[in-house]
Amino acid sequence: MSERLRDTVYLVFMTITVVALAALVLAAPDRDDRVQELGSRIRCPVCEGEAIIDSPAPMARDMMKLIRQRVDEGASDEEILSEITSSYSGAVLLDPPAEGATLWLWLAPLLALAGGISVILWWRAHPGGTPGSAKSATPSSPRRRSRAIAGGLLVTLVLGAVVVAAGSALQDREGPGGGAADLDSVDPSLVSNETMEAVIGANQDDPSIDGMRLALAERYFRAGDYRSAFPHYLAIAQSGTAADETAHTALVRLGWMAYDGNGEVETALELLDQALDIDAGSPMALYLKGLVLWCGADRPEEAGDLFQAVLDQADLEDETRTEVSDDLAAARRGEGCA
Amino acid sequence: MLSLLGTLGLLSALLGSVLLTWRGWLAATGHTDRGLAPAARLVLAGAAVAMGAMQLALITDDFSLAYVANHHASTTPFPFNVATAWAALEGSIILWGLVLAGFTWMMLRRHSRSPDRLGAAALAVMGAVAVFFFALMLTVANPFEVCTEAIANGCAASSPWPFAAVQAPLEGRGPNPLLQNHLLMAIHPPMLYLGYVGMTVPFAYAIGALALGLPGVDWLRRSHRSTVVAWSFLTVGIVLGGWWAYEVLSWGGYWAWDPVENASLMPWLVATAFLHSALVQRRRGMLQAWNFVLVISVFALTILGTFLTRSGTIQSVHSFTQSAIGPVLLGFLLVVVVGSFALFSARAHLVGSTPRIDHLVSREGSFLANNLLLTLYAFVVLTGTTYPLVVEAFSGARVGVGAPFFNRLAVPLSFALLLMMGLGPVLPWRLAPPRLLWLRTRGPAVIALAAGLLTALTVTRIGWVILTVVLGVFVLACSSGVLAEQARRQPGRHEGRLRATLEVIRSDRGFWGGQLSHAGVVLVALGIAFAANLGAHAEAVMSPGDTVVFAGHTFIYESPFQRSAPGKSTSGARLTVTEDGSFRATLEPSANYFGADPTGVSTPDALHLPGGDIYVTMLRLDAAGVTLVFDTSPLIWLIWLGGGVVAGGGAIAMTGRRAGTMAPARQTADV
Amino acid sequence: MSGRWLRWLGAGVAVATVVFAVVLASRFGADPSLVPSPLIGEPAPEFALPTLDGTSTVSLSGLEGDIVVVNFFASWCLQCRAEHDDLVATAEAFSEQGVSFVQIAYQESPAQTLAYLDEAGISPAMRHLADPGSRTAIAYGVFGIPETFFIDADGVVVGKLVGESNALILGATLDSILGGDQPGETVTGDTMQRPSP
Repeated sequence: MSERLRDTVYLVFMTITVVALAALVLAAPDRDDRVQELGSRIRCPVCEGEAIIDSPAPMARDMMKLIRQRVDEGASDEEILSEITSSYSGAVLLDPPAEGATLWLWLAPLLALAGGISVILWWRAHPGGTPGSAKSATPSSPRRRSRAIAGGLLVTLVLGAVVVAAGSALQDREGPGGGAADLDSVDPSLVSNETMEAVIGANQDDPSIDGMRLALAERYFRAGDYRSAFPHYLAIAQSGTAADETAHTALVRLGWMAYDGNGEVETALELLDQALDIDAGSPMALYLKGLVLWCGADRPEEAGDLFQAVLDQADLEDETRTEVSDDLAAARRGEGCA
Repeated sequence: MLSLLGTLGLLSALLGSVLLTWRGWLAATGHTDRGLAPAARLVLAGAAVAMGAMQLALITDDFSLAYVANHHASTTPFPFNVATAWAALEGSIILWGLVLAGFTWMMLRRHSRSPDRLGAAALAVMGAVAVFFFALMLTVANPFEVCTEAIANGCAASSPWPFAAVQAPLEGRGPNPLLQNHLLMAIHPPMLYLGYVGMTVPFAYAIGALALGLPGVDWLRRSHRSTVVAWSFLTVGIVLGGWWAYEVLSWGGYWAWDPVENASLMPWLVATAFLHSALVQRRRGMLQAWNFVLVISVFALTILGTFLTRSGTIQSVHSFTQSAIGPVLLGFLLVVVVGSFALFSARAHLVGSTPRIDHLVSREGSFLANNLLLTLYAFVVLTGTTYPLVVEAFSGARVGVGAPFFNRLAVPLSFALLLMMGLGPVLPWRLAPPRLLWLRTRGPAVIALAAGLLTALTVTRIGWVILTVVLGVFVLACSSGVLAEQARRQPGRHEGRLRATLEVIRSDRGFWGGQLSHAGVVLVALGIAFAANLGAHAEAVMSPGDTVVFAGHTFIYESPFQRSAPGKSTSGARLTVTEDGSFRATLEPSANYFGADPTGVSTPDALHLPGGDIYVTMLRLDAAGVTLVFDTSPLIWLIWLGGGVVAGGGAIAMTGRRAGTMAPARQTADV
Repeated sequence: MSGRWLRWLGAGVAVATVVFAVVLASRFGADPSLVPSPLIGEPAPEFALPTLDGTSTVSLSGLEGDIVVVNFFASWCLQCRAEHDDLVATAEAFSEQGVSFVQIAYQESPAQTLAYLDEAGISPAMRHLADPGSRTAIAYGVFGIPETFFIDADGVVVGKLVGESNALILGATLDSILGGDQPGETVTGDTMQRPSP
């Protein structure tokens, strides 16, 4: 009798306290702070795993200010989060949404719980037999046992070795990104004029850029764009570090452009002489100088000598040879240049 | 020279491990057990020599070792130079090997002279694991490589051949600044490793039992003490890691669900489940197969954890540099899991147990619930940690899984666990008559609810805090109730209640040690609840002379300051703290710069009060003034204290009578 | 549990672990900290920002019809300093091709950026803008600097360079955009996320 009374007293106490607690807790001022909640769901992009609300980094605080502003503007949680993920991708969310790829993440614990409970209930309901009764399956001869175990171990070791090898091979593979390219390995024919201009402009002091300069200048020259070609040839000619062959070509071109572009005969002859100083037997230089003398300076005899010097070169193509011969003949005859 | 010494040490240890595995296998299959002891001693000696060589190199600033050149500087003070031995990958594996050798040697000491096939098999397994780790150190992660190409502060290339042409730099790079900042960082890894590596012991016994076809409680009994020791150290290691993170990062920093932190939590959860279900098997003989599964999983999770930490496949705050060790660890993990479970399958007919549970509402049922909750918890952590990897492998999409996900699941799981902690001790074995259950829980329930009400009226009305208080007090009250009940029933009334209580505890230290651990968990839960929900936060930019009022204290910014020490320079702000007009403390939040490294480590300063800490962190110090962040984390010390109590409970449990004798104890809660 | 059931359990766990290990192994070699930008192929976020000296405003829509190169930088960023000359040279080289270069200061006061630019050189081919509140940096999903975005004449983001660039890469990227391609995202190296305190 008194036992039942005691029980009732306990129950009453418990009910009163539970109700009181519920009332107090539920009546507590709502601490719901959307900004705080959103801030704890976004990872700070310049920190290591912290949420933007926890991080002191200025970028994180700027992002918090943005969140605050968007909340004040009335944007919903989904809108704000989708704006952030469209800039940074879903990797910036600390709490994956329950959809698509991350749906399994949400389901997995529930499935595991259900699975665990059902396993326990099933195990309880299905006695497996008394201990020691299931002696049959494998006769436990030591020899056989050792062999079985050794065999199994060998298989797993092989499997492990395969994984190690594959993993090491994968690990050595290049991550994304080409890395800064090597100037010397660039094939100029694949690159646009503007890019070459940019590379040259950025590497003015690098001696190895002369090769690229020449390539670009030649492009301009062949296209007839003397104006663009000129500064590059000039830079090569004036640079003290250009290779002989490069400097020679630049001077030859400069000389021809001086005559053909500006009609400056004296300057052209000077430049071509400089080129011949570097390479006295250069057919191109000799020929062009000859042309300048013949057509610009009206000195066909000297021109003829130079044309002859060109023809004396053994390694000329037939076409070139014919052309030079014709010019030689015309100059000797005293004709004006065509 | 030291490289040679260390390499020889490793070689000896490897040789010893191979011998141990071989001789252990021979002894297990019925042959002589000669050679076991020398092999185990060789492993320990080799490992000790290797660690000794590394320590000597660090203490004498021997930069001819690439590891020392890259991780140590002559200005690194004691004890951080000692701790540098495990500050980076290669050195930390020496520690792993040494601890493994130590545990192996302890197993040897308890190896009985009479034919002890199980013990021998277990030693063989330990040997095999040791072979892996020492081989790792001699190939992929060699700590004794000599520096062959020195650069300004470190080593650009190295060679494993001790006689290679050495080019030692004059000065070393020094440890990562974060690792020099606080003493806790020096202790945390050894504690963790004692825990991780210790879990190899029950695994070894389990595999031995499976291989020999010896089911039963033998392997549980013999490994029990090691399991408790390892579990206690793992607890300490995890708590120390959290404490250090808090000291350095202040608010909320003690746990971020970072992949590396999760890597240590997963084995701990499963090991806790194992401790409980092993108890059931020793007592009632059931759950045999499950125990095998658990112990294999614990060991596998420690390897998985090391893999996740060191492989560079997961992004983490603990950004260890990626090394070639990743694939090797993964391969080892695969061998361990596949091999163990294949063995398990082969022996399945022997391990299917046996007594069935009669009623779910019983002590056994509470253990089942405990195991379900803990393994579910571990599963959730595992899933969340590896999910980004899996998704990216399949679809290339980038997802982030962070604190909100884990907290959402961890919180209800933790509350459920607290409830079970309370109910467990009051439930009798086999069957709990409802009347008995009611009698034992009605008092605690009322006390718990009253405590909750008191909290709601005086401290806070936040639901989470109240619930934690209610459940926590319920656990403590149930436990105390059982203690009081048994003390009452002690023979010899005249001895006095206190002595009777002590006698009860002394006679079943296994059980009461566990209850103390439960109390520790309650403290941790309370600490987390209070700190997370009742903290305050403020920021200010201050010029000299400005004041800020926060958490009932007034902070006056006096001036900035600059200090230099060998290898370290500090710049910070000096603050005077007053409360109600009277001086309380001087705080100096600062940033520390180590050696030549331009990145500084922000070092907060704190006012430690009984009610909680007030942390001040300096964000920036420039011409505009100092930017400071103020935080309180009330009662957060409960977490550190609770962690210590949990481990302490483990220590007490370990001193109990030889675990698992089938004779029911005189005074366990077996009513 | 019956022995047979356990046998299957053991085998199942082993197989599952193998699959798991394969999945983990497939992630070797991939840098987990690299996040591909979701903006590639999407319309570029609009901005209207003041120039560093505060005298005028430049908006993305105002540059419509041009190919726009948006480079986030700061004076405290070592890689940004290293790539400065290349950016300027490329800007000048392509200025006749309908390409506009815009540099946006990231996490820095305009005064500091201007001081740096006075020393490093200001080119008329380059516009320098301030980003108050980092709104534009956030809109473009900037993780660190330097990051360079390429927007085609229709206002769609067609390329992104993460890390230090050079004239060759910039030029090649612009060439390909001028040719109608979408170069996508390239990582050339590390970025910096904050100045050393």
